[in-house]
Amino acid sequence: MKTAMYALIKKDFRGVASNRRLFSALLIVPLVLTIILPSIFLVTIHFVPDNPDVANLLSLLPEAAGMESLELTLSSMILNYILPVFFMMIPIMTASIMAASAFVGEKERHTLETLLYCPLTLKQIFQAKVWASFLLSMVVSLISFTAMLLVMETELFFLMGKLILPSVNWLVVMLLLSPAISLIAVTLIVRGSAKAQSVEESQQSAVFLILPLILLIAGQFTGVLLMNVWILLGLGIVCVALAWILLQKSMGRFTYEKLLQ
Amino acid sequence: METVTMQALSKTYPGGKEALKQLSLSLGAGEVFGFLGPNGAGKTTTVKLLTGILAPSSGCCSIMGINPNTQPEKAHLLSGIVTEHAQMYDNLSGIENLIFYAAAFGLAQKDGKQRAESLLKELELTEAKDRKLATYSTGMRQRLSLARALLHRPKVLFLDEPTSGLDPESAQNVNQMIRNLAHKEGITVFLCTHQLRYAQEICTRYGLIEQGSLLSSGTIEELRTQAFPSKSLQIQASAVPESLHLTKCGTNEFTAEIQDKQEIPHLVRKIVEAGGNIYSVNLVQPSLEDIYFALTAGKKED
Repeated sequence: MKTAMYALIKKDFRGVASNRRLFSALLIVPLVLTIILPSIFLVTIHFVPDNPDVANLLSLLPEAAGMESLELTLSSMILNYILPVFFMMIPIMTASIMAASAFVGEKERHTLETLLYCPLTLKQIFQAKVWASFLLSMVVSLISFTAMLLVMETELFFLMGKLILPSVNWLVVMLLLSPAISLIAVTLIVRGSAKAQSVEESQQSAVFLILPLILLIAGQFTGVLLMNVWILLGLGIVCVALAWILLQKSMGRFTYEKLLQ
Repeated sequence: METVTMQALSKTYPGGKEALKQLSLSLGAGEVFGFLGPNGAGKTTTVKLLTGILAPSSGCCSIMGINPNTQPEKAHLLSGIVTEHAQMYDNLSGIENLIFYAAAFGLAQKDGKQRAESLLKELELTEAKDRKLATYSTGMRQRLSLARALLHRPKVLFLDEPTSGLDPESAQNVNQMIRNLAHKEGITVFLCTHQLRYAQEICTRYGLIEQGSLLSSGTIEELRTQAFPSKSLQIQASAVPESLHLTKCGTNEFTAEIQDKQEIPHLVRKIVEAGGNIYSVNLVQPSLEDIYFALTAGKKED
């Protein structure tokens, strides 16, 4: 039943993508976080007068050793330690919009029953719903990353005459950690939407219960980034495992009857 | 061959409401079964049990040998379902909706599109196919739902009030289509309705349900015999002999209660032999509506 699940994912994805207003709203926040904010940082770094106290403080960091100037040290820190944290949050925020209405949205439009009459198990429907939201979050995340890199490198080149390569941390964050954490959040939110009675209720519980918890964990992430890349990799694998277990087990006790109540 | 079977099927909702009590029925291929009863009698509950949406409290049912409660996805592959709560997506057009559901039922893209186009044509929706569903009237939605239910060529069709909201022309068209499906393709149709006249037009067999219990089931002839053991004969004639004991209900108008059609020629001969003139003889055939009310009234008296 791969075709059926694929059809459902495509339908859900198109539902958001064809709604231009919603889709552009989904893109605006990530773009502000990843383009405007870093640009302000870079411009500030370039134009503020040198402060010896800050220079002393920064020279304590291991990264300072390999860099030619204070400006580049600071810029590289922003690129490699601050910005990855945004990419932990962006996919979660994006996906939550779609995930919160996954089941309850269909219920409100009276299309859930029709969907249940399709030859798919509840688990398959659930997984298709999760993948659709997850896919959207990854698309937004990828667009933001590309835009951020392009803008930042251009600015770096014109302001400081040098490019800074993203560290290997980025690879682990973009390919492992960010997708895994996003998948955990999406699974929890979609599960919540199956229990909720209205889209509002589902969105509220997503925003008030799940998002803060996950953002809190993601927020603590700067510290982890300063550590070894292998720790990051291990953490990523743990998150992927957790996401997979959640995805497999979340729908276990649900029945058609419960869903339609 | 039996396509749908129910054995002592019962459903009690968590609140304690007994929606269905010990329902036992079986349907054969090509049969159009009319499941009749007032609102809240348990018709929709039965459909939900047969499609695996609800779990029975006791008893069991099967669709072509598959238990819809344990293997709903397999049962759904064999059944097409139209109910008023099963709507489609307003933000998609008619054809987009059908193509989506065709894919959800595992049809290849090309097959799905072809099937959708031909069903839209058959249900006279071709002109509206590219319009968003939000602009459809109730009748058009209803017909599109029927198209959706038929996409994957089901063996059993569950229809819950399929012609409510249809204008007479569309209703007739839909009726014709259902009749053809049953007759030519051998599809079993399980039709829930409280529109008795409509049911009488297309059903081959009936089940009467009230307050969760099956009152009676059978062909219209069987139900008629059950509800009205004696038949009523209306005679317009002059000079009817008193010895025949006909009930007079107007000038030259009489009614007679008979047990069998064979009594009619005998009765007519007697009137003629006695010198009477016969203007008309009419055997009253109680309609499904009459039968329904007679049976439900009978139940209440018990």
